[in-house]
Amino acid sequence: MAVQKPNSPRVPGKILRFTKGERLSHWVHVVSFFVLLLTGWGILSEFFRPTLMIFGGVDVSRILHRVFAVIFVVVIVAMFFVKDPKYHWEWLRSAFRFTKADIQHIMAFPKEFFGGHANYPAQGKFSGGEKINSLITILGSAFIILSGFIMWFPQVFPDQLVRIAYPVHDLAMFMMVTALMGHLYLALLHPVSRVALEGMVKGYVPEKFAQAHHAAWYEEVKEQEK
Amino acid sequence: MAKKMILVDGSKCTGCKACSAACKEWNDLPTEKTSLVKSYQSMAGFTPNTYTYVTFEEKYENNNMHWLMRKAQCFHCEDPSCLKACSSSAISKTDSGFVVIDQDKCIGCGYCAQYCPFHVPKVDESTKKANKCTGCVARVENNLSPSCVAICQPGALSYGDYDAMMATAQARLAEVKKKFPNANLYGQNGQAGTTYRYILLDAPAAYGLPENPSTDLSLYLWKDIIRPIGKIVMGGAAAAVVAGVVINAVKGNYQKEPFEDHHQMKKEEKM
Repeated sequence: MAVQKPNSPRVPGKILRFTKGERLSHWVHVVSFFVLLLTGWGILSEFFRPTLMIFGGVDVSRILHRVFAVIFVVVIVAMFFVKDPKYHWEWLRSAFRFTKADIQHIMAFPKEFFGGHANYPAQGKFSGGEKINSLITILGSAFIILSGFIMWFPQVFPDQLVRIAYPVHDLAMFMMVTALMGHLYLALLHPVSRVALEGMVKGYVPEKFAQAHHAAWYEEVKEQEK
Repeated sequence: MAKKMILVDGSKCTGCKACSAACKEWNDLPTEKTSLVKSYQSMAGFTPNTYTYVTFEEKYENNNMHWLMRKAQCFHCEDPSCLKACSSSAISKTDSGFVVIDQDKCIGCGYCAQYCPFHVPKVDESTKKANKCTGCVARVENNLSPSCVAICQPGALSYGDYDAMMATAQARLAEVKKKFPNANLYGQNGQAGTTYRYILLDAPAAYGLPENPSTDLSLYLWKDIIRPIGKIVMGGAAAAVVAGVVINAVKGNYQKEPFEDHHQMKKEEKM
Protein backbone atom coordinates (compact mmCIF):
# COMPACT_ATOMS: atom_id res chain seq x y z
CA MET A 1 0.00 0.00 0.00
CA ALA A 2 1.10 3.53 -0.70
CA VAL A 3 2.50 5.33 2.26
CA GLN A 4 3.62 8.82 3.05
CA LYS A 5 6.85 9.65 1.32
CA PRO A 6 9.35 9.94 4.16
CA ASN A 7 10.92 13.16 2.89
CA SER A 8 7.76 15.02 1.92
CA PRO A 9 7.01 18.03 4.08
CA ARG A 10 4.35 17.65 6.77
CA VAL A 11 1.41 20.01 6.57
CA PRO A 12 -0.59 20.38 9.76
CA GLY A 13 -4.08 18.95 9.50
CA LYS A 14 -3.30 17.61 6.04
CA ILE A 15 -2.02 14.37 4.66
CA LEU A 16 -0.10 13.73 1.43
CA ARG A 17 -2.37 11.85 -0.94
CA PHE A 18 -0.65 12.11 -4.31
CA THR A 19 3.03 12.67 -5.01
CA LYS A 20 4.29 14.99 -7.76
CA GLY A 21 4.72 12.06 -10.14
CA GLU A 22 1.17 10.82 -9.58
CA ARG A 23 -0.23 14.28 -10.12
CA LEU A 24 1.82 14.85 -13.25
CA SER A 25 0.57 11.58 -14.77
CA HIS A 26 -2.99 12.48 -13.93
CA TRP A 27 -2.88 15.96 -15.45
CA VAL A 28 -0.98 14.95 -18.56
CA HIS A 29 -3.61 12.27 -19.00
CA VAL A 30 -6.39 14.84 -18.51
CA VAL A 31 -5.06 17.39 -20.99
CA SER A 32 -4.15 14.86 -23.68
CA PHE A 33 -7.43 13.00 -23.19
CA PHE A 34 -9.47 16.16 -23.80
CA VAL A 35 -7.46 17.15 -26.86
CA LEU A 36 -7.76 13.59 -28.20
CA LEU A 37 -11.48 13.48 -27.46
CA LEU A 38 -12.30 16.79 -29.12
CA THR A 39 -10.11 16.24 -32.17
CA GLY A 40 -11.32 12.64 -32.47
CA TRP A 41 -15.01 13.36 -32.09
CA GLY A 42 -14.84 15.91 -34.87
CA ILE A 43 -13.46 13.29 -37.25
CA LEU A 44 -15.81 10.54 -36.15
CA SER A 45 -19.06 12.44 -36.03
CA GLU A 46 -20.43 15.27 -38.08
CA PHE A 47 -22.24 16.65 -35.07
CA PHE A 48 -18.89 17.56 -33.53
CA ARG A 49 -17.31 18.65 -36.81
CA PRO A 50 -17.51 22.37 -35.82
CA THR A 51 -15.47 21.53 -32.69
CA LEU A 52 -12.46 21.04 -34.94
CA MET A 53 -12.50 24.76 -35.66
CA ILE A 54 -11.15 25.36 -32.14
CA PHE A 55 -8.01 23.56 -33.20
CA GLY A 56 -7.81 25.14 -36.63
CA GLY A 57 -9.72 22.72 -38.82
CA VAL A 58 -9.67 19.09 -39.84
CA ASP A 59 -6.08 18.98 -41.03
CA VAL A 60 -4.60 20.52 -37.89
CA SER A 61 -6.79 18.26 -35.75
CA ARG A 62 -5.57 15.23 -37.63
CA ILE A 63 -1.99 16.13 -36.66
CA LEU A 64 -2.87 17.16 -33.10
CA HIS A 65 -4.68 13.88 -32.55
CA ARG A 66 -1.50 12.00 -33.38
CA VAL A 67 0.81 14.32 -31.44
CA PHE A 68 -1.29 14.04 -28.30
CA ALA A 69 -1.70 10.32 -28.79
CA VAL A 70 2.06 10.04 -28.52
CA ILE A 71 2.11 12.29 -25.44
CA PHE A 72 -0.74 10.26 -23.93
CA VAL A 73 1.22 7.05 -24.31
CA VAL A 74 4.82 8.10 -23.81
CA VAL A 75 4.50 10.40 -20.79
CA ILE A 76 2.25 8.09 -18.81
CA VAL A 77 4.24 4.96 -19.55
CA ALA A 78 7.40 6.88 -18.66
CA MET A 79 5.91 7.79 -15.28
CA PHE A 80 5.89 4.13 -14.38
CA PHE A 81 9.66 4.25 -14.59
CA VAL A 82 10.77 7.81 -13.95
CA LYS A 83 8.92 9.80 -11.33
CA ASP A 84 7.77 7.99 -8.17
CA PRO A 85 7.33 4.75 -10.11
CA LYS A 86 6.45 2.87 -6.90
CA TYR A 87 3.18 4.75 -6.55
CA HIS A 88 2.20 4.11 -10.15
CA TRP A 89 2.77 0.39 -9.84
CA GLU A 90 0.85 0.32 -6.58
CA TRP A 91 -2.09 2.06 -8.22
CA LEU A 92 -2.00 -0.36 -11.14
CA ARG A 93 -1.85 -3.37 -8.83
CA SER A 94 -4.61 -2.13 -6.53
CA ALA A 95 -6.97 -1.48 -9.46
CA PHE A 96 -7.03 -5.20 -10.17
CA ARG A 97 -7.39 -6.25 -6.55
CA PHE A 98 -10.90 -5.94 -5.20
CA THR A 99 -11.41 -6.67 -1.51
CA LYS A 100 -14.63 -7.30 0.35
CA ALA A 101 -14.49 -3.70 1.59
CA ASP A 102 -14.27 -2.49 -2.01
CA ILE A 103 -17.32 -4.49 -3.02
CA GLN A 104 -19.26 -3.11 -0.08
CA HIS A 105 -18.23 0.40 -1.08
CA ILE A 106 -19.46 -0.18 -4.62
CA MET A 107 -22.80 -1.54 -3.35
CA ALA A 108 -23.33 1.46 -1.13
CA PHE A 109 -22.00 3.96 -3.64
CA PRO A 110 -25.10 4.72 -5.77
CA LYS A 111 -26.84 6.04 -2.68
CA GLU A 112 -24.02 8.49 -2.06
CA PHE A 113 -23.84 9.42 -5.74
CA PHE A 114 -27.42 10.64 -5.57
CA GLY A 115 -26.97 12.64 -2.39
CA GLY A 116 -27.71 10.00 0.24
CA HIS A 117 -25.58 8.87 3.14
CA ALA A 118 -23.82 5.58 2.54
CA ASN A 119 -22.24 3.22 5.02
CA TYR A 120 -19.28 1.12 4.04
CA PRO A 121 -16.22 -0.30 5.70
CA ALA A 122 -12.87 1.52 5.92
CA GLN A 123 -11.32 1.98 2.47
CA GLY A 124 -7.71 1.78 1.36
CA LYS A 125 -5.89 4.45 -0.65
CA PHE A 126 -8.29 3.78 -3.49
CA SER A 127 -11.91 3.03 -2.67
CA GLY A 128 -13.92 0.42 -4.53
CA GLY A 129 -15.46 3.14 -6.70
CA GLU A 130 -12.10 4.66 -7.49
CA LYS A 131 -10.80 1.24 -8.45
CA ILE A 132 -13.60 0.88 -10.97
CA ASN A 133 -12.74 4.26 -12.44
CA SER A 134 -9.09 3.21 -12.55
CA LEU A 135 -9.95 -0.08 -14.22
CA ILE A 136 -11.99 1.63 -16.93
CA THR A 137 -9.13 4.08 -17.46
CA ILE A 138 -6.51 1.34 -17.65
CA LEU A 139 -8.46 -1.05 -19.89
CA GLY A 140 -9.94 1.79 -21.96
CA SER A 141 -6.45 3.23 -22.52
CA ALA A 142 -5.04 -0.15 -23.47
CA PHE A 143 -7.78 -0.76 -26.05
CA ILE A 144 -7.77 2.77 -27.43
CA ILE A 145 -3.96 2.84 -27.74
CA LEU A 146 -3.78 -0.54 -29.48
CA SER A 147 -6.63 0.15 -31.88
CA GLY A 148 -5.37 3.68 -32.50
CA PHE A 149 -1.94 2.39 -33.41
CA ILE A 150 -3.51 0.01 -35.94
CA MET A 151 -5.66 2.82 -37.36
CA TRP A 152 -2.63 5.06 -37.72
CA PHE A 153 -0.81 2.55 -39.92
CA PRO A 154 -3.58 0.72 -41.80
CA GLN A 155 -1.29 -0.27 -44.64
CA VAL A 156 0.94 -2.43 -42.44
CA PHE A 157 -1.87 -4.38 -40.75
CA PRO A 158 -4.27 -6.90 -42.30
CA ASP A 159 -7.53 -5.30 -43.51
CA GLN A 160 -9.57 -7.40 -41.13
CA LEU A 161 -7.61 -6.15 -38.12
CA VAL A 162 -8.00 -2.50 -39.17
CA ARG A 163 -11.73 -3.04 -39.66
CA ILE A 164 -12.03 -4.35 -36.11
CA ALA A 165 -9.89 -1.52 -34.72
CA TYR A 166 -12.50 1.13 -35.64
CA PRO A 167 -15.33 -0.20 -33.45
CA VAL A 168 -12.86 -1.04 -30.67
CA HIS A 169 -11.57 2.54 -30.71
CA ASP A 170 -15.14 3.83 -30.54
CA LEU A 171 -16.14 1.43 -27.77
CA ALA A 172 -13.13 2.37 -25.63
CA MET A 173 -13.98 6.04 -26.16
CA PHE A 174 -17.59 5.53 -24.99
CA MET A 175 -16.39 3.61 -21.92
CA MET A 176 -13.87 6.27 -20.97
CA VAL A 177 -16.21 9.21 -21.56
CA THR A 178 -18.92 7.57 -19.46
CA ALA A 179 -16.44 7.07 -16.62
CA LEU A 180 -15.15 10.61 -17.12
CA MET A 181 -18.60 12.08 -16.59
CA GLY A 182 -18.99 10.33 -13.26
CA HIS A 183 -15.41 11.22 -12.37
CA LEU A 184 -15.90 14.94 -13.15
CA TYR A 185 -19.12 15.05 -11.17
CA LEU A 186 -17.52 13.46 -8.11
CA ALA A 187 -14.41 15.60 -8.35
CA LEU A 188 -16.01 18.94 -9.07
CA LEU A 189 -19.67 18.90 -8.13
CA HIS A 190 -20.35 16.24 -5.53
CA PRO A 191 -20.65 17.99 -2.14
CA VAL A 192 -18.86 15.29 -0.17
CA SER A 193 -16.24 13.86 -2.52
CA ARG A 194 -15.15 17.03 -4.30
CA VAL A 195 -12.76 17.77 -1.42
CA ALA A 196 -10.57 15.06 -2.97
CA LEU A 197 -9.70 17.41 -5.85
CA GLU A 198 -7.29 19.22 -3.52
CA GLY A 199 -5.25 16.03 -3.35
CA MET A 200 -4.89 15.94 -7.10
CA VAL A 201 -4.06 19.66 -7.35
CA LYS A 202 -1.80 20.29 -4.36
CA GLY A 203 -1.07 16.75 -3.26
CA TYR A 204 -2.56 17.12 0.22
CA VAL A 205 -6.06 16.42 1.53
CA PRO A 206 -7.50 17.34 4.93
CA GLU A 207 -6.90 14.58 7.47
CA LYS A 208 -10.57 14.58 8.32
CA PHE A 209 -11.42 13.81 4.70
CA ALA A 210 -8.87 10.99 4.63
CA GLN A 211 -10.35 9.54 7.82
CA ALA A 212 -13.88 9.72 6.47
CA HIS A 213 -13.18 8.28 3.02
CA HIS A 214 -10.00 6.24 3.22
CA ALA A 215 -9.76 5.20 6.87
CA ALA A 216 -7.69 2.08 6.24
CA TRP A 217 -5.16 4.03 4.22
CA TYR A 218 -5.14 6.86 6.77
CA GLU A 219 -4.37 4.44 9.58
CA GLU A 220 -1.56 2.95 7.56
CA VAL A 221 0.04 6.31 6.85
CA LYS A 222 -0.22 7.28 10.52
CA GLU A 223 1.36 3.98 11.48
CA GLN A 224 4.28 4.64 9.13
CA GLU A 225 4.83 8.08 10.55
CA LYS A 226 5.39 6.77 14.05
CA MET B 1 -34.01 8.50 -63.03
CA ALA B 2 -34.60 4.81 -63.45
CA LYS B 3 -32.08 2.30 -62.22
CA LYS B 4 -29.27 1.78 -64.70
CA MET B 5 -26.89 -1.05 -65.37
CA ILE B 6 -23.59 -1.42 -67.16
CA LEU B 7 -22.72 -4.80 -68.56
CA VAL B 8 -19.05 -5.64 -68.92
CA ASP B 9 -18.90 -8.54 -71.34
CA GLY B 10 -15.62 -10.32 -70.77
CA SER B 11 -16.02 -12.33 -73.93
CA LYS B 12 -15.86 -9.20 -76.04
CA CYS B 13 -13.10 -7.31 -74.26
CA THR B 14 -9.88 -7.03 -76.28
CA GLY B 15 -7.86 -5.39 -73.53
CA CYS B 16 -7.30 -2.18 -75.53
CA LYS B 17 -7.53 0.00 -72.39
CA ALA B 18 -9.41 2.74 -74.24
CA CYS B 19 -11.90 2.75 -71.32
CA SER B 20 -9.05 3.68 -69.00
CA ALA B 21 -7.89 6.50 -71.27
CA ALA B 22 -11.43 7.81 -71.79
CA CYS B 23 -11.94 7.85 -68.02
CA LYS B 24 -8.82 9.96 -67.55
CA GLU B 25 -9.97 12.27 -70.33
CA TRP B 26 -13.50 12.84 -69.05
CA ASN B 27 -12.57 13.11 -65.38
CA ASP B 28 -9.54 15.32 -66.07
CA LEU B 29 -7.16 12.92 -64.35
CA PRO B 30 -3.41 13.19 -64.82
CA THR B 31 -1.65 10.25 -66.42
CA GLU B 32 0.62 8.13 -64.27
CA LYS B 33 3.76 6.19 -64.95
CA THR B 34 2.77 2.66 -65.84
CA SER B 35 4.68 -0.59 -66.06
CA LEU B 36 3.84 -4.09 -67.11
CA VAL B 37 2.76 -5.49 -63.77
CA LYS B 38 1.94 -8.86 -65.28
CA SER B 39 1.04 -9.94 -68.77
CA TYR B 40 -0.34 -6.80 -70.44
CA GLN B 41 -1.66 -5.32 -67.21
CA SER B 42 -0.20 -1.88 -66.74
CA MET B 43 -1.63 -0.86 -63.34
CA ALA B 44 -1.28 -2.87 -60.14
CA GLY B 45 -4.40 -1.32 -58.64
CA PHE B 46 -6.53 1.77 -58.28
CA THR B 47 -4.88 5.06 -57.41
CA PRO B 48 -6.41 8.43 -56.53
CA ASN B 49 -5.94 9.30 -60.21
CA THR B 50 -6.79 6.00 -61.85
CA TYR B 51 -10.42 5.03 -61.52
CA THR B 52 -10.40 2.20 -64.01
CA TYR B 53 -7.84 -0.17 -65.48
CA VAL B 54 -7.81 -3.60 -67.11
CA THR B 55 -6.63 -6.72 -65.32
CA PHE B 56 -5.04 -9.53 -67.33
CA GLU B 57 -4.90 -13.13 -66.19
CA GLU B 58 -3.29 -15.60 -68.54
CA LYS B 59 -5.04 -18.93 -68.53
CA TYR B 60 -3.51 -22.01 -70.12
CA GLU B 61 -5.65 -24.88 -71.31
CA ASN B 62 -4.66 -27.68 -73.69
CA ASN B 63 -1.51 -25.85 -74.71
CA ASN B 64 -3.60 -22.81 -75.52
CA MET B 65 -3.50 -19.52 -73.71
CA HIS B 66 -6.39 -17.18 -73.41
CA TRP B 67 -6.73 -14.03 -71.39
CA LEU B 68 -9.17 -13.41 -68.64
CA MET B 69 -9.47 -9.66 -68.98
CA ARG B 70 -11.53 -7.47 -66.75
CA LYS B 71 -12.13 -3.76 -66.75
CA ALA B 72 -11.92 -2.89 -63.05
CA GLN B 73 -13.67 0.09 -61.50
CA CYS B 74 -16.10 0.83 -58.66
CA PHE B 75 -18.97 -1.65 -58.82
CA HIS B 76 -21.49 0.96 -57.65
CA CYS B 77 -23.16 -1.34 -55.14
CA GLU B 78 -26.84 -1.25 -54.36
CA ASP B 79 -25.93 -1.50 -50.66
CA PRO B 80 -22.47 0.07 -50.49
CA SER B 81 -20.16 -0.64 -47.54
CA CYS B 82 -18.35 2.65 -48.21
CA LEU B 83 -21.54 4.63 -47.76
CA LYS B 84 -22.20 3.01 -44.39
CA ALA B 85 -18.59 3.50 -43.29
CA CYS B 86 -18.33 7.16 -44.32
CA SER B 87 -17.84 9.46 -41.32
CA SER B 88 -18.91 12.58 -43.16
CA SER B 89 -22.04 11.76 -45.19
CA ALA B 90 -19.84 12.44 -48.19
CA ILE B 91 -20.95 9.28 -49.98
CA SER B 92 -24.39 8.95 -51.50
CA LYS B 93 -26.20 6.88 -54.08
CA THR B 94 -28.08 8.28 -57.03
CA ASP B 95 -31.47 6.93 -58.11
CA SER B 96 -29.76 5.59 -61.19
CA GLY B 97 -27.62 3.40 -58.91
CA PHE B 98 -24.28 5.20 -58.93
CA VAL B 99 -22.30 5.73 -55.74
CA VAL B 100 -20.69 9.16 -55.59
CA ILE B 101 -18.29 10.91 -53.22
CA ASP B 102 -18.93 14.57 -52.47
CA GLN B 103 -15.39 15.96 -52.52
CA ASP B 104 -16.39 19.00 -50.47
CA LYS B 105 -17.63 16.85 -47.60
CA CYS B 106 -14.90 14.19 -47.73
CA ILE B 107 -12.19 14.56 -45.08
CA GLY B 108 -10.11 11.61 -46.23
CA CYS B 109 -10.60 9.45 -43.13
CA GLY B 110 -10.24 6.38 -45.33
CA TYR B 111 -12.97 4.28 -43.70
CA CYS B 112 -14.62 3.79 -47.12
CA ALA B 113 -11.38 2.43 -48.53
CA GLN B 114 -10.95 0.09 -45.60
CA TYR B 115 -14.43 -1.40 -45.77
CA CYS B 116 -14.90 -1.69 -49.55
CA PRO B 117 -14.92 -5.45 -50.28
CA PHE B 118 -13.32 -4.65 -53.66
CA HIS B 119 -10.73 -2.17 -52.32
CA VAL B 120 -11.82 0.50 -54.75
CA PRO B 121 -11.67 3.95 -53.10
CA LYS B 122 -8.19 5.39 -52.65
CA VAL B 123 -7.35 8.34 -50.42
CA ASP B 124 -5.20 11.02 -51.99
CA GLU B 125 -2.70 11.73 -49.23
CA SER B 126 -1.96 15.25 -50.45
CA THR B 127 -5.55 16.47 -50.83
CA LYS B 128 -6.98 14.18 -48.10
CA LYS B 129 -9.88 13.17 -50.32
CA ALA B 130 -11.12 9.72 -51.27
CA ASN B 131 -11.34 9.10 -54.99
CA LYS B 132 -12.98 6.47 -57.13
CA CYS B 133 -15.01 5.96 -60.28
CA THR B 134 -17.76 8.57 -60.39
CA GLY B 135 -19.93 6.57 -62.79
CA CYS B 136 -19.69 9.71 -64.93
CA VAL B 137 -22.87 10.86 -63.20
CA ALA B 138 -22.66 14.24 -64.90
CA ARG B 139 -22.96 12.43 -68.25
CA VAL B 140 -25.50 9.90 -67.00
CA GLU B 141 -27.78 12.59 -65.61
CA ASN B 142 -27.71 14.19 -69.05
CA ASN B 143 -28.71 11.01 -70.83
CA LEU B 144 -25.25 10.10 -72.01
CA SER B 145 -23.49 6.85 -71.26
CA PRO B 146 -20.43 6.81 -68.98
CA SER B 147 -17.34 7.73 -70.98
CA CYS B 148 -15.80 4.25 -70.71
CA VAL B 149 -18.95 2.79 -72.25
CA ALA B 150 -19.06 5.45 -74.96
CA ILE B 151 -15.55 4.69 -76.16
CA CYS B 152 -15.57 0.88 -76.02
CA GLN B 153 -14.97 -0.30 -79.63
CA PRO B 154 -15.47 -4.07 -79.36
CA GLY B 155 -18.80 -3.52 -77.58
CA ALA B 156 -17.68 -5.12 -74.35
CA LEU B 157 -19.36 -2.33 -72.41
CA SER B 158 -23.03 -1.54 -72.73
CA TYR B 159 -25.26 0.69 -70.70
CA GLY B 160 -28.99 1.10 -70.26
CA ASP B 161 -32.02 0.64 -68.04
CA TYR B 162 -31.61 -2.14 -65.50
CA ASP B 163 -34.36 -4.49 -66.70
CA ALA B 164 -33.43 -4.27 -70.36
CA MET B 165 -29.74 -4.75 -69.55
CA MET B 166 -30.48 -7.79 -67.39
CA ALA B 167 -32.31 -9.41 -70.29
CA THR B 168 -29.34 -8.68 -72.56
CA ALA B 169 -26.96 -10.05 -69.94
CA GLN B 170 -28.87 -13.32 -69.56
CA ALA B 171 -29.09 -13.85 -73.31
CA ARG B 172 -25.42 -13.06 -73.72
CA LEU B 173 -24.44 -15.36 -70.84
CA ALA B 174 -26.29 -18.29 -72.43
CA GLU B 175 -24.36 -17.64 -75.62
CA VAL B 176 -20.97 -17.32 -73.92
CA LYS B 177 -21.50 -20.47 -71.86
CA LYS B 178 -21.37 -22.55 -74.99
CA LYS B 179 -17.70 -21.72 -75.32
CA PHE B 180 -16.88 -21.04 -71.66
CA PRO B 181 -18.87 -23.47 -69.46
CA ASN B 182 -17.68 -21.71 -66.27
CA ALA B 183 -18.98 -18.35 -67.44
CA ASN B 184 -21.14 -16.51 -64.94
CA LEU B 185 -22.84 -13.22 -64.35
CA TYR B 186 -20.97 -11.47 -61.57
CA GLY B 187 -22.44 -8.74 -59.38
CA GLN B 188 -25.68 -10.56 -58.58
CA ASN B 189 -24.70 -11.71 -55.10
CA GLY B 190 -23.57 -9.52 -52.27
CA GLN B 191 -23.97 -5.79 -51.70
CA ALA B 192 -27.58 -6.28 -52.88
CA GLY B 193 -26.35 -6.35 -56.47
CA THR B 194 -24.08 -3.97 -58.32
CA THR B 195 -24.59 -1.46 -61.12
CA TYR B 196 -21.57 -2.73 -63.02
CA ARG B 197 -22.16 -6.42 -63.80
CA TYR B 198 -19.79 -8.75 -65.53
CA ILE B 199 -19.92 -11.69 -67.77
CA LEU B 200 -16.89 -13.50 -66.42
CA LEU B 201 -15.46 -16.33 -68.48
CA ASP B 202 -14.35 -18.22 -65.39
CA ALA B 203 -15.07 -18.38 -61.65
CA PRO B 204 -14.68 -15.02 -59.83
CA ALA B 205 -11.65 -16.41 -57.97
CA ALA B 206 -9.82 -16.79 -61.30
CA TYR B 207 -10.11 -13.02 -61.64
CA GLY B 208 -9.14 -12.40 -58.02
CA LEU B 209 -12.67 -11.34 -57.14
CA PRO B 210 -14.46 -12.35 -53.94
CA GLU B 211 -17.06 -15.06 -54.54
CA ASN B 212 -19.53 -13.44 -52.16
CA PRO B 213 -18.58 -9.83 -51.52
CA SER B 214 -20.10 -8.58 -48.32
CA THR B 215 -19.99 -5.76 -45.84
CA ASP B 216 -17.69 -6.69 -42.97
CA LEU B 217 -19.52 -7.68 -39.79
CA SER B 218 -17.43 -5.23 -37.78
CA LEU B 219 -19.06 -2.34 -39.66
CA TYR B 220 -22.50 -3.41 -38.44
CA LEU B 221 -21.09 -3.97 -34.97
CA TRP B 222 -19.66 -0.46 -35.05
CA LYS B 223 -22.47 1.54 -36.62
CA ASP B 224 -25.55 -0.41 -35.54
CA ILE B 225 -24.61 -1.68 -32.08
CA ILE B 226 -21.66 0.08 -30.42
CA ARG B 227 -22.49 3.57 -31.69
CA PRO B 228 -26.15 3.72 -30.61
CA ILE B 229 -25.60 1.85 -27.33
CA GLY B 230 -22.58 4.03 -26.55
CA LYS B 231 -24.67 7.14 -27.04
CA ILE B 232 -27.41 5.81 -24.74
CA VAL B 233 -24.90 4.88 -22.01
CA MET B 234 -23.18 8.26 -22.27
CA GLY B 235 -26.54 10.02 -22.17
CA GLY B 236 -27.51 7.93 -19.15
CA ALA B 237 -24.33 8.93 -17.32
CA ALA B 238 -24.97 12.59 -18.10
CA ALA B 239 -28.54 12.28 -16.83
CA ALA B 240 -27.30 10.59 -13.64
CA VAL B 241 -24.89 13.46 -13.03
CA VAL B 242 -27.61 16.06 -13.50
CA ALA B 243 -29.89 14.10 -11.15
CA GLY B 244 -27.07 13.89 -8.58
CA VAL B 245 -26.45 17.63 -8.66
CA VAL B 246 -30.16 18.44 -8.40
CA ILE B 247 -30.83 16.02 -5.52
CA ASN B 248 -27.80 17.25 -3.59
CA ALA B 249 -28.87 20.85 -4.10
CA VAL B 250 -32.45 20.15 -3.04
CA LYS B 251 -31.27 18.29 0.06
CA GLY B 252 -29.03 21.21 0.95
CA ASN B 253 -25.95 18.97 0.94
CA TYR B 254 -23.89 21.80 -0.50
CA GLN B 255 -24.24 23.78 2.74
CA LYS B 256 -23.06 20.97 4.99
CA GLU B 257 -19.52 20.55 6.28
CA PRO B 258 -18.24 17.74 4.06
CA PHE B 259 -16.28 15.88 6.74
CA GLU B 260 -19.18 15.42 9.09
CA ASP B 261 -20.11 12.36 7.16
CA HIS B 262 -18.26 9.47 8.70
CA HIS B 263 -18.72 6.53 6.47
CA GLN B 264 -17.22 3.65 8.36
CA MET B 265 -19.58 0.97 9.48
CA LYS B 266 -19.58 0.41 13.20
CA LYS B 267 -17.21 -2.33 14.29
CA GLU B 268 -19.99 -4.86 14.76
CA GLU B 269 -21.40 -4.10 11.32
CA LYS B 270 -18.09 -5.01 9.72
CA MET B 271 -17.75 -8.44 8.36
